[in-house]
Amino acid sequence: MGVWAGGVGCGRFGPHRADPGSCEGRLVQLGRKCLRSGLDGRHSHAGAAAHWAGAGGVARPARGLGAGAAEAAPARGLGAGTRRGGARSFKARAGCMGRRRHLADAAGALPEAIAALSRSLPAGPSPEIFRRAKFDRPEAAPALWRLLFRVLSLLRADRASASRAPEAQARWVKAALRAQGYPRLGLARLPEDGSQGSRELLLALAWLLAREPLPERLLAQTRVRLGDEMPVCECGALASPGQPAPRVDTAGPVDVRRLQWLMGKLRFRWRNLMASQQEQCALLGKIHAYTRGCHGDRSLGHLSVAETELLRDPEGGRQLLQRLESENARLEAALEWRRRELVFWQWMDTVLGACPPEASQPTFPPRLRGRGRRAGAWGPVAWELQALQEELQAAVGARRAAWAARVGGQGPEWSAARQAAQEAVGRELAALRQAWARGGGRAQPHRPHRLVRTEAGGPGGPGLRAAEVIGVLRSREACLEEMLCQLQEQCRQQLARLAGALPGLIWIPPPRR
Amino acid sequence: MSIVTVQLGQCGNQIGFEVFDALFSDSHCPQGLCSKRENEAYQASCKERFFSEEEHGVPIARAVLVDMEPKVINQTLSKAAQSGRWKYGQHSCFCQKQGSGNNWAYGYSVHGPRHEESIMNLIQKEVEKCDSLSGFFIIMSMAGGTGSGLGAFITRNLQDQYSNSLKMNHIIWPYGTGEVIVQNYNSILTLSHLYRSSDALLVHENDALHKICAKLMNIKQISFRDINQVLAHQLGSVFQPTYSEEGSSHYRRNPLGDLLENLVPHPEFKMLGVRNIPQMSEHSLAYSTFTWAGLLKHLRQMLISNAKMEEGIDWQVRPPLSGAPTLGKMSANKNLHFNTSLANLVILRGKEVHSADLGGFKDPALYTSWLEPDNAFNMWKTQRAFNKYEKSAALVSNSQFLVKPLDMIVGKAWNMFASKAYIHQYTKFGIEEEDFLDSFTLLEQVVASYRNL
Repeated sequence: MGVWAGGVGCGRFGPHRADPGSCEGRLVQLGRKCLRSGLDGRHSHAGAAAHWAGAGGVARPARGLGAGAAEAAPARGLGAGTRRGGARSFKARAGCMGRRRHLADAAGALPEAIAALSRSLPAGPSPEIFRRAKFDRPEAAPALWRLLFRVLSLLRADRASASRAPEAQARWVKAALRAQGYPRLGLARLPEDGSQGSRELLLALAWLLAREPLPERLLAQTRVRLGDEMPVCECGALASPGQPAPRVDTAGPVDVRRLQWLMGKLRFRWRNLMASQQEQCALLGKIHAYTRGCHGDRSLGHLSVAETELLRDPEGGRQLLQRLESENARLEAALEWRRRELVFWQWMDTVLGACPPEASQPTFPPRLRGRGRRAGAWGPVAWELQALQEELQAAVGARRAAWAARVGGQGPEWSAARQAAQEAVGRELAALRQAWARGGGRAQPHRPHRLVRTEAGGPGGPGLRAAEVIGVLRSREACLEEMLCQLQEQCRQQLARLAGALPGLIWIPPPRR
Repeated sequence: MSIVTVQLGQCGNQIGFEVFDALFSDSHCPQGLCSKRENEAYQASCKERFFSEEEHGVPIARAVLVDMEPKVINQTLSKAAQSGRWKYGQHSCFCQKQGSGNNWAYGYSVHGPRHEESIMNLIQKEVEKCDSLSGFFIIMSMAGGTGSGLGAFITRNLQDQYSNSLKMNHIIWPYGTGEVIVQNYNSILTLSHLYRSSDALLVHENDALHKICAKLMNIKQISFRDINQVLAHQLGSVFQPTYSEEGSSHYRRNPLGDLLENLVPHPEFKMLGVRNIPQMSEHSLAYSTFTWAGLLKHLRQMLISNAKMEEGIDWQVRPPLSGAPTLGKMSANKNLHFNTSLANLVILRGKEVHSADLGGFKDPALYTSWLEPDNAFNMWKTQRAFNKYEKSAALVSNSQFLVKPLDMIVGKAWNMFASKAYIHQYTKFGIEEEDFLDSFTLLEQVVASYRNL
């Protein structure tokens, strides 16, 4: 999974154990269960715990477990809960009866799981909030809005939305979830002042958690970077949609000189950026050269800028240490979450059950493995999909026919142009293939890498060589240059055509050497 | 970030020396009117930009000196070394044993290619000494012979070799009543070639500087040294450190880049002029005080009425009344006198600089119709006083101020060209009539573009 942005000498992330596919499948299963069983939330916690413990649905209310535990109001917070839960489990252990111990652990396991989840997420609320959200208590809503906002804006690396009013945050969260394909309409209908809807928000959070390893991904994005890092590929920049270009509607025609002015400004900024980057490289080189032999890790050999700053500025070092410690705490919380998450999903089943059924069928992202197997439950959904597909095909067919009819009447020059276009596309495709083959057909590395300077002729460590990366970049540059030349040629030809078309006009092209 | 200066010809070398001297003296001037720490930051910034350090000895100017004869270069080197405070690099100069006639074409087509490698090597060495290169500052005269031709050639080479670096050419506009008969030909050839390869042309007119020396500085016998010192003062007030956009905690790292980005992004409008206020002799300075309001009012009127100094300003000239361009005869009259700006940069240095009110410069009537003052006007400032002036303001302006002089030169050159006078001097060395025609075309285009602002 390309999510792990690790690098040389930075092996703090272990492999992710749970399979996201199974998370999704799990939620689908929960959905199915909800449709089938219609369990009432209040009892299902004990039911789930008992189910997990294999005790066949025997609730033990006497110990304040099961249903009672679900209502035990105050003591579910992080500190207090462990105290009480700890006391309970201690008693349970002291009782040393297998079944009781299982149930006691099961009862304490949920708040601990939620607590672990909360610790691993940024701006994670207390487990009490989660519990209240299950019962759609209004006071839990603001914290969940904030959490969703934080998580989603981190996911989209959208720093611009940092400080917004709560209403704006809520609107943004709705839009972001919709963009990701979140199916439940209940969320879209929630008021944006944070006054209600905590259960819907909880479901949305669970949906996000089910789709991908959320805590790990967030941790990867916000991790503390010690080395001088260098991105190796453009995929991140190309894949992210980025800010939508602001559309400036002009009342009248725009003076072309103003456009030229703005273009010129852009070019100058770009050149200044280049100069700054060269300066950064020169200075990095200096630091790496001066600190040779200072690093504890022999394979690295020299310090990075962050590490050099550590030496110069002890206060900064303390702050870095604090950040590392808090990051470690979150990592540990994430690991603990992975160990305990099953309990959470079983509980989410009950939360889903507590929801009133939606007016329209909720459509989870369908994983239609073995379509025919549960045709009973999926019947209406599958039928709808089928109908939609046929409708689309009909529409596409009609459009194609109409276009072909219109095009067919154009005449020989149209087919000649079409032929030329096809050839051009074929050439370009061939050029792309060639370029890819020239690049060795290697799979490109994607994570940012740490810059390490080694002696010339030395063995060097694992990881990429600068020469290789430079080679790849050069071939890419050559491709882009070719493309640029072609586009410029096209522009020139177009200009020449325009110039020829207007009689009595003399075109003076800009001076070229 | 560092600027590498290329001093070309007699003119360029003499001016270059004065510029470095002015920069150095100012940065080490004790009357900075600011805290010690700020003064040190100012010094450090100036030094990084224009000088390089050696282990022992004084700072070395980041400069390459080029001339066809050794006399001026030797004088320049020794003057710098004598001061004992800074010097030029020993191996940073290139000169030939003897001069070679006052011929632009010879400089461009013969000297240039012949000595290209040596000169570019010198420049390369200077560039390598910089941690970061902001760009090149090339000082030369416009109407000279060999020096101007060589300068045009070198600028083109810099464009080829350092295409991403910024280049600003500082050119000296000759006296209107110059002595060299072909100076108009030289001027148009220099200008047109530089327009293609340089990013900005910063122009100083000899006539204007002469008047400043006579009227403001009260100098009786005006030598080139006096003129050059006035010039250096003006350039220094532009290039010395100013606060960066983030506030007064840091000095601006890339003044050349910021200046070019704000003033000359449009490829057709590259002519810049400098005005500086106040400018006076040193002992008059002791008896004068200024207010920002007064200084800025005068500076604004200098801009509008195309005055070169604060004396003899025509206060009758006013900006056009409404924002929309006026039509008809009225506008023709107005246009003759009113100097429309494309973009302006005002640099304020000195006491209480925060209290200066620049509203007058943000008036849309000053600017062309297709740029608003937000885009067109910029201000830099620093509290640190410059060159003992308690308050000083400089204006770098991209405006119509050179339209008339340029038009005059082009007209005169065209008249000579029409009768093919002296053309053989140029065709002998490879500058064909085609090249002349190209130059005329380009410069007519420039004049027309500026007229239409």
